[in-house]
Amino acid sequence: MFMPYDFSIIIKEFPVFIPAAILTLELALSSILLGTGIGLFVSFARISKSKVFNIPASIYITIIRGTPILLQLFIIYYGITSLLLIDPFPAAVIAFGVHNGAYIAEIFRGAIQSIDKGQMEAARSLGMTYPKAMRRIILPQAIKRALPALGNQFIITIKDTSLASAITIRELLLKSQQLGSSNFRFMEYFIIAGIYYLTFTATFSYLVHKVESYLAVSDH
Amino acid sequence: MMTKKTNKKMVEIRDLHKYFGELHVLDNISLQVFEGEVVVIIGASGSGKSTLLRCINRLEKADKGEIFISGHRLINKESYINKLRQEVGMVFQHFNLFPHMSVLKNVMEGPVQVKNFPKEEVKREALELLVQVGLEDKANNYPAQLSGGQKQRVAIARALAMKPQIMLFDEPTSALDPELVGEVLAVMNDLAKNGMTMIVVTHEMGFAREVADRIVFMDEGKIIETGKAEDIFDNPQNPRTKDFLGKIL
Repeated sequence: MFMPYDFSIIIKEFPVFIPAAILTLELALSSILLGTGIGLFVSFARISKSKVFNIPASIYITIIRGTPILLQLFIIYYGITSLLLIDPFPAAVIAFGVHNGAYIAEIFRGAIQSIDKGQMEAARSLGMTYPKAMRRIILPQAIKRALPALGNQFIITIKDTSLASAITIRELLLKSQQLGSSNFRFMEYFIIAGIYYLTFTATFSYLVHKVESYLAVSDH
Repeated sequence: MMTKKTNKKMVEIRDLHKYFGELHVLDNISLQVFEGEVVVIIGASGSGKSTLLRCINRLEKADKGEIFISGHRLINKESYINKLRQEVGMVFQHFNLFPHMSVLKNVMEGPVQVKNFPKEEVKREALELLVQVGLEDKANNYPAQLSGGQKQRVAIARALAMKPQIMLFDEPTSALDPELVGEVLAVMNDLAKNGMTMIVVTHEMGFAREVADRIVFMDEGKIIETGKAEDIFDNPQNPRTKDFLGKIL
């Protein structure tokens, strides 16, 4: 069926997407938070000399990075639901958090290992314990170094939340699909969703960039 | 000026052995360093001098033998090692300043974070230390803004802030441009005059001759010869010492 695009719909219907946009944002931020927590923890496990920690960490990273995120989402939502009922939103946060955790763990591991060995030696020589040296000396430098890659990962997460539409979460993509199928103005609604996504990712990039330049004061 | 050398053994090393894989880097090392003494360890690279220094504050773990720090045996216990390291200041070849902290924060980090001393008091003492190393005007700069010589002087102040009983210097001037070596040696010279017990690994033979109470010459993981600076430099007994000094002097 031929139907001309009506771009005035984009402006008119833009506010209709606000609840879906908020849901997308909540989903993204919760997943980022959970993923960063998991990532930090797993990166330490991965660095650990103890096999009890580093082997499970490696297995986790291999499985998560080696399988599709949509499959992981389905496993948490449909797969586990046969044992234990989970609402779509927490299921998505868990799936995205666990997924991101694997990537963030590798980002942190690389950053921590890139810090000169002399930093840890200098801290330990002052009598600092290993955890304190990690927290006070290594991590601040590692996080700064990890920031560009972390920012990238966060932006991927924002975009990946669109997959939550597959488990009935009415975020931006599902919202635009549903509205589109009510009047076949798919293009207009998809553009609205796209503008929201782009706004979020651009804002996030900007914020990460701001933090980067704030942390760069000690460089010159 | 404090009284120099006493009979108190600050560091005692007994029959120390250390291997890196097949390589016997420390081969039956025994050494005593007394309070207020400045011992300079010389030798070719790969002779084990840095490893020996790093064993004293347990950055390296010896495979055999014993180390005593002011009478306390170095045991294999994390909390004990952390305690001991507070008494042993270490200055590295590559400074290893904390780049994300200002000069002042670098100097304050140990006393505040390790000894939990009140910040205000630590800050006052840190500023005094910066005066002592001639860098009071750099307190709020970051390490990246300093020259190598300035960095090393901050590193010395950072180690001194812990009020250690012993200072270890691991080739403190080897990474410096020649014109910056003097300012670091001057600070070390002052420290020595004020009675600090020091063990210094260096290639600066002028400094060794002038400041060292004792020279230790190492080769292939062994202490080959030890004695007063003038004896070692002017009248070396061992052919290997002669050979080494002949190459560098």
